[in-house]
Amino acid sequence: MKQSFFLSLALGSGWLLCPESLVIAGNSAGQLGWLTLPLLAAVAILFVVCGKLLNNPLLPATDSKEFQILQGITGTIPATALTIAACMPLVVLAATALLVTSGYTFNEVFLYWFPNFGFSFLLLALLTILQFFPEKTIFRAQFCFVALAAGGLLVLALYGIVGGEKAVTDVLQQPVGFSSTSSALLFLLFVGNTLSGNRQTPSFLVPLAGFVIFFLWILVSLTYVSPERLASSTIPYMTAAKKIMGDPGRQIMGVVVISGTCAAITGLTLLSRHMLAKIATGKMTIGLLSEKAQRWFLPPLIALITGSLMATGLAGDELLEVLLRGALILWLLYYSFMCLSALICINKKSQPIFLPASICTLILLVSLFTLVISNPHTIEICIFIFSTLGISGLLAAIWFLINKKLNKQMEQTA
Amino acid sequence: MKKIVLLLSLVLLIAAPSAFAGDMPTMSKDELKSQLGSDKMVILDVRSGRDWSSSEFKIQGAVRAPGSELAKWSANYKKDQHLVLYCA
Repeated sequence: MKQSFFLSLALGSGWLLCPESLVIAGNSAGQLGWLTLPLLAAVAILFVVCGKLLNNPLLPATDSKEFQILQGITGTIPATALTIAACMPLVVLAATALLVTSGYTFNEVFLYWFPNFGFSFLLLALLTILQFFPEKTIFRAQFCFVALAAGGLLVLALYGIVGGEKAVTDVLQQPVGFSSTSSALLFLLFVGNTLSGNRQTPSFLVPLAGFVIFFLWILVSLTYVSPERLASSTIPYMTAAKKIMGDPGRQIMGVVVISGTCAAITGLTLLSRHMLAKIATGKMTIGLLSEKAQRWFLPPLIALITGSLMATGLAGDELLEVLLRGALILWLLYYSFMCLSALICINKKSQPIFLPASICTLILLVSLFTLVISNPHTIEICIFIFSTLGISGLLAAIWFLINKKLNKQMEQTA
Repeated sequence: MKKIVLLLSLVLLIAAPSAFAGDMPTMSKDELKSQLGSDKMVILDVRSGRDWSSSEFKIQGAVRAPGSELAKWSANYKKDQHLVLYCA
């Protein structure tokens, strides 16, 4: 698959621009003050270094390289389990949470008479139907979603810097504080950036874009909204947009939230499809997992689970936040394991390990640990992570056994 | 492909109505406005989770009282108090 520069950017930036990321950025900015900006730069650099590590010429160069790296070190079943556990819960839980947020935004910003859950279900249906179209069409739609979300944020940020009444340099005079939890949360902004990671795509692309957009947005947010309010708000993005541009600002942010939701769900669904296809090419050759077949069963399955979760009221339960945080941590665990496996793989080939990559992997693992222990629901998150890994492991083992049987039958027929 | 798209749309349309509110005694925005400030009236925001956190609109002075914890908070109010519950 030959991807253009902009398409790679659009695919990897799905999660980056969703309302959940905007909440993480806003709350972290409130906690850390302007210190968020250098920390954000450090996190972006870390992901560039990790991306470079995964693109190392000593590692497999195929489309399924990420799965192959894990498989080479941990074995097929653990690699499959980790891949499933990293992508499936995340796409379903993120879709549930983001669709509800979009529903409220549409209802409160654009049409009061339109039911918020009605809009959430409508958006879910449209995004699922989109997945049935050829990949080229999905890519185009994703490009539009990302362009709208990024464009909206940039318009608000630039208006705040150039056309607003306040000087952004005042931010530097605000007090700063350090919190390891808020710093670790910044890692979650870059979830899913591996989607654009083929070898032709520079590893700095998504982290750099994320850094530029969030640098401007955090700077302007801190200029217009007090850090205390940013830290405690559940919708810091809307508070900032309203302060920057008034009602038009709210409407622009409404477009950002809805298009960011579409970008995140489309991006994460594509990510799941690609990750499962990678398993299929990595010896798990069950037809259902192949990229072509998945198009017909995976998006409806995701929609069905997401729709059920919304209809049964998970959105109104605090449990959703705990599960979503657990799913994001699982993705970070998958990414950290992938980097660790890549380091071991390179070391096995008697090559010197790239020191910055080793340090970055260590920081990833530390941030992962920080995110788990600093959460008020540590036990629930651990239960979720271990049970997800257990169920995924069981599924992987069943698939592996069926696959083995099928391959044997095929060999006998041949 | 058309069949699958139709089937999926149908499933989602069937699931959607459960999300909408049923028949409940309601009060208009103006009615509520005219009674604001009354000592006997307590406004309770019964939204929880993302239903509450995603919403920009929160009535000033409203007390958070998640619907799932009804037994816990209902004991805090007297019977002659006028409780106004809102969820959207």
